[in-house]
Amino acid sequence: MKNLTLLFATMTLLLGSKLFAAPIELGASVQLTGQFANTGRYYGDAYQFAVEKINAAGGVKIGNAREKLNLKILDNQSDVNLSVRQYVQLVTQDKVNFLLGPFASDFALADSAISEKYDIPMIQGGGASDQIFSRRYKYIFGTLPPASDYFQSTLELMGQLKPAPATVALLYADDAFDVSVADGTRKAASKTSLKIVVDQRYSSKASDFNSILSLIKSQNVDAILVAGHETEILNFIRQAKTLNVNPKLYSFTVGVPSADFRAALGQDANYAFGMTSWVPSVVLKDDYFGNAEQFANEYKKRFGYEPDYHAASAVGDVEAFVKAIESANSLDPAKVRDAIAKVDFDSLYGRIRFNAAGQINLPQTVVQIQKGKLVPVYGPKGLLEKPLYPMPEWGKR
Amino acid sequence: MKLGLKLALAALVVGLLATVPWWGSPVMVQFGINALILATLAQSWNIIGGYTGYPSFGNSVFYGLGGYGVAIAMVQFHLPFAVGLLLGVFLAVLFAFLLGLPVLRLRGHYFAIATLGLAEVMTAIVSNLEIAGRNVGLILPLLKGDTVFFELSLALLAVTTITVAWISRSRFGFGLIAIRENEEAAAVMAVNTTLYKILAFALCSAFAAIAGGIHAYWITYLDPSSAFDITLNVKMIIMAVFGGAGTIFGPVLGAFALSAISEILASKVTSLASIFFGLVIVAAVVFMPRGFADLVRRFRQQRWRYFQENIKAHRV
Amino acid sequence: MQLLWQILVNGVLLGGLYALMALGLVLVWGVLNIVNLAHGALIMLGAYACYYLFTGFGLDPFAALPVAMVLLFCLGYLIQRHVLNLVIRAPMFNTLLITFGLEVVITFLAQITFSADFRTVNPSYAGANFVLLGATVPLVRLLAFGVALGLTFALWLFLDHTGIGRAIRATAQNLTAARLYGVNPRRLYALTFGIGAALAGAAGALYGVVSQINPYIGSSLTGKSFAIAIIGGLEKSIYVLVGGLFLGIVEALTALYIGPTYTDVVSFGILVLVLIVRPTGLLGRTA
Repeated sequence: MKNLTLLFATMTLLLGSKLFAAPIELGASVQLTGQFANTGRYYGDAYQFAVEKINAAGGVKIGNAREKLNLKILDNQSDVNLSVRQYVQLVTQDKVNFLLGPFASDFALADSAISEKYDIPMIQGGGASDQIFSRRYKYIFGTLPPASDYFQSTLELMGQLKPAPATVALLYADDAFDVSVADGTRKAASKTSLKIVVDQRYSSKASDFNSILSLIKSQNVDAILVAGHETEILNFIRQAKTLNVNPKLYSFTVGVPSADFRAALGQDANYAFGMTSWVPSVVLKDDYFGNAEQFANEYKKRFGYEPDYHAASAVGDVEAFVKAIESANSLDPAKVRDAIAKVDFDSLYGRIRFNAAGQINLPQTVVQIQKGKLVPVYGPKGLLEKPLYPMPEWGKR
Repeated sequence: MKLGLKLALAALVVGLLATVPWWGSPVMVQFGINALILATLAQSWNIIGGYTGYPSFGNSVFYGLGGYGVAIAMVQFHLPFAVGLLLGVFLAVLFAFLLGLPVLRLRGHYFAIATLGLAEVMTAIVSNLEIAGRNVGLILPLLKGDTVFFELSLALLAVTTITVAWISRSRFGFGLIAIRENEEAAAVMAVNTTLYKILAFALCSAFAAIAGGIHAYWITYLDPSSAFDITLNVKMIIMAVFGGAGTIFGPVLGAFALSAISEILASKVTSLASIFFGLVIVAAVVFMPRGFADLVRRFRQQRWRYFQENIKAHRV
Repeated sequence: MQLLWQILVNGVLLGGLYALMALGLVLVWGVLNIVNLAHGALIMLGAYACYYLFTGFGLDPFAALPVAMVLLFCLGYLIQRHVLNLVIRAPMFNTLLITFGLEVVITFLAQITFSADFRTVNPSYAGANFVLLGATVPLVRLLAFGVALGLTFALWLFLDHTGIGRAIRATAQNLTAARLYGVNPRRLYALTFGIGAALAGAAGALYGVVSQINPYIGSSLTGKSFAIAIIGGLEKSIYVLVGGLFLGIVEALTALYIGPTYTDVVSFGILVLVLIVRPTGLLGRTA
């Protein structure tokens, strides 16, 4: 009797170990609380959603088995130092297989040092600044297109508008991402007929733009380009209204594609231009979600708010890992790392493939808020919809 | 406990700790480095805040200058780490002397506010300096392996604590305590209060700077808000006060205890970690303002009345 | 020249907002000797109060302002009565620490209650402005300036010309003597802190209209308020107007002529200079 029980137990164990094989561990330290939680939550939710969908479809194919993905997310409370320590914890204590990145360039910059130190690949969809990739680290990959190219398509569009804007005010915040954007924009603008008459760097924590706005107004600038954070851009627009600053056009690197940003500004959000590397269109097909539009609808149902390119980028990160693991047919970090460098596939985020430095290259679609709705106006193939230009004065809306 | 015995015990503990990188998990080593650096900061604050009675809210400046000394030396001039540390210490001590003179003339909360103001000013100034990478910061070369940092931090803490032990028994230290208890009387008793205060300030600046330098190299990334982190000031003060300001081992114990609890919370229930800190501060200030060392000492006699006595003495 | 005039107008109006922000801090500091590091957090709560009154009940921000003040008064009273009163006779440094702890707790609770989403209070007239001698004057900031003047005046009246006000000042100067006159210091301190919190609430109520609200705005507002309080001087609450105006104008000029990344250097640099050279503030009597 005892021997039979032992045999039965052993067989159950063996069988069980086949059924409940070790899942593939993904680890991430995300801003779930703290001042960046507003955008950080996109990453936490999207990572989770992607892992659920992939597991529901059977998981990741390795060898003859299919393994499930397991996700461990830590909250770094929007503190860079804490996020660095958490990544070390994920690697050394929780022994995750691979890392997913945080939001924001300065976080990605600091955290990628850990992935490089421990030779564990990290794919992040939250940092676009040039410095992340200019160090030529081998274990960091990014699904946000280069910061220096953010305004490229906007500048192209501006060249096609009539009457063409002649003078530009370039404002940018003091952090890695926005400085990169400004550097790239300056270079790109110098190749056009646009003249940058105001070029101002401001503190990332600034809430008062009255002086800059007064300067812009006194110079009668045609177009304002702002590279900053959502809260700053929100303040900027509201203060532009109270000071009656009326450029022909203004465009912002963040905020415009996000639903709660438009909700916070109400009518005042109209006419603002922005850019996004992702539009929830049916054209973007995906192995797990069908297409980008389906993804957006399901996401909204599941989490209660609309996704934007941050969420799509995060899903892209998870899918890139899946493709790389399957292609390498192994969980060995070095092999997977090489596989990531070679991936090339279509997802709901767009075509995912990384350049030599580890960064993706997707064109930015110019969007505009028209009558409360987000409208893509200019894509990689040219004009999509008519942009509302020039912007009517505040008093005449 | 006799001093000789205390020292022997301390040396034993240090020796044991030094072996941690070889048997401890990487997370333990990492936690250790953090805790050791915080303990050094708490201990260095102890010199100016605990012994001299000048509650500085600006030690983060020295920490940051140390970090930037290392970063600028290594990144902009490609000098070795040791040179960077020296540069950091030099900057910090210079700052302590130049700004210590006017600021140390202030008393009590005005001194605290002035040092807080200095911390804010330095953050803002550095975020405008090209050589420091402005607000974007600097990325330091990567050094794989935490053992080096662990041993360096441990050595630094040991040196700082030995210095504090020496202070507590030296004429210099008695002068500082006299300043804390009654500065006018001390001056009358021919204590050169200005010199002593500046020296104390400079001493704590040096240790804080080295701590900052080690931390910067370890994290491989430095920007003004993380280098001159204002909340660090409160953290080091709370640790020193919680452990026992004005004692030799108090700040070290306070730093380790609070770091441990905070780390456990952060890894298990991350969001609670921040509120934990706030609640600990409130509770500590109300129930044990003189720190853990004092609590241990008096508890034997007064038991639970100790907490009541504290409140009675300080409430209105 | 036109630009300079506009900048000055901006600076003065910003100064009014600043004065309003710092008023509560100055009261509590000057009278109770409590350095309230949680002051910014109270402003933040006042802003949220106004936001919910505006979006939930359709209450205009200027009508919501007194309600927010009452709510914050109650909160402040409770905090002082049950927490701060316990440490008020300890070295002043302890109040610094404990209010810091309170700030952390309040911010955390705000974040789980209100979420990290940023909010704005957007009444129909939020963007209204008119032109004065060539400079555009935002209406809401002008009204905030008026509120700052009004509350400062009201506070002065209260402290100098009412029985309770005099009792507060007396207790602050000599606790024992005040007790002999039958003053209940516990309630009085609580009352004073409550008023300070109410004033913070007023600032917060207007803050949401001119800027945006999230749980983390507290610490930078506290820092600014400190600078304003010290620069103006703590002796009389009316000095906060001087401090606010001075800082507002200096910041506006700095942003234009030196660079927008230098405003903090200038604000806190002046704070440190004032402390070193004239610790009692620009207007205070030198000790």
